Amino acid sequence: MEATATPRITCAYLNSYVGRNVIIVGKVIQLRGEEALIDADGNITAHLNREAHLLAGNGAQIIGKVNPDLSIKVLSSLDLGTSVDYNLANTVVEISHQHRDIFADN
Amino acid sequence: MTSYGGYQRTGYGAQGGDDGGGFMSASQQGSQGGSGSGQRNSGDDTLRPVTIKQLIDWKEAFPNADPAIDGLPTSQVTLIGQVRSAAQQAVNVTFRIDDGTGQIEVKKWFDADKPHSMPHFDTDTYVRIYGRLQTYNGKHHVLAHSIRAIVDFNEVNYHLLEATYVHLALTRGAGAASGNAGQQQQGDGDDSMFVDGGYGAGGGGGEGGTSGSVQARLALCSKNARTIFSCLANAPGTDGMHLTRVASATGLSPKDVMAGAEELVAQGVIYTTQDDETWAILDF
Repeated sequence: MEATATPRITCAYLNSYVGRNVIIVGKVIQLRGEEALIDADGNITAHLNREAHLLAGNGAQIIGKVNPDLSIKVLSSLDLGTSVDYNLANTVVEISHQHRDIFADN
Repeated sequence: MTSYGGYQRTGYGAQGGDDGGGFMSASQQGSQGGSGSGQRNSGDDTLRPVTIKQLIDWKEAFPNADPAIDGLPTSQVTLIGQVRSAAQQAVNVTFRIDDGTGQIEVKKWFDADKPHSMPHFDTDTYVRIYGRLQTYNGKHHVLAHSIRAIVDFNEVNYHLLEATYVHLALTRGAGAASGNAGQQQQGDGDDSMFVDGGYGAGGGGGEGGTSGSVQARLALCSKNARTIFSCLANAPGTDGMHLTRVASATGLSPKDVMAGAEELVAQGVIYTTQDDETWAILDF
């Protein structure tokens, strides 16, 4: 049950979450075949799966595993359209790390 | 619970507690006692924004205890999350909802005679749920009154902030939380969506919490009103002070006192006692 928690992180937190499943919300900067560059307070390389339908310039939420090279192996992705408030998303990441008792542990 | 108690004390105890309002006191106490013994307190039905982890982490203090989060009885909750799976039974659908902090089952009943009333959401869709927290065989789940798809993704982040805000208001007192949220609220033209002071009073945030919300409300009043408030705050007893005494103590004209007191009454920080021209501090 507890293992299902997927912390929300930004680029700055990648280091601390190698090998874990995380949620990242950011803007799709570039799409290159099965690879996407996503800006979540810093650029993150995401290795997409076949089902991914992301659009460059749109917001996206990806859930995936952090690889040792700090790229993401995407398990699930969601196109969020164009009206995503990225500052808000980054703030929520900070808040969720300050109040771990009601968000994911470590 | 506490907010209800506070209301009882100031509203009825102050006036009817002695001899004068015996009838009123007795009848009010009677009806309140009745609702109390019925196990349901109106405070339990506060709609609370939560993260799923809060719902999972909730432990029964004793068998069949009412759900409580942060020590406050909680039955009505609102949450957001992605639909991970849906299992349809004859008259209900069980969704597995994931908001990143955990997963929980959400049941939605529907009318079997009207198949189109069955809720359907694609996997991974973000949904907003309003429902009641329940326990069955030691497992927590949510019985949904309403489930709808979230169209604007920002609602997800907004919900997570709201859940944090309420959690902090309850655990640290409304004063601390409004301090944090102050900047945001100013931007909104003070159009807070929360019932003023409700969370602080309910959470037992203590003096710090409530006086914080009183201070916030006083800040919206005129200088005259604040002068009157501090005058009333120093008044002895619980019967309050009459217009003429307030006027002589503050040096304001009766007209100014009346206008200032009306402001304070409107803000809910004072109330009229014996007549329309006598006020006392509404002490939470």
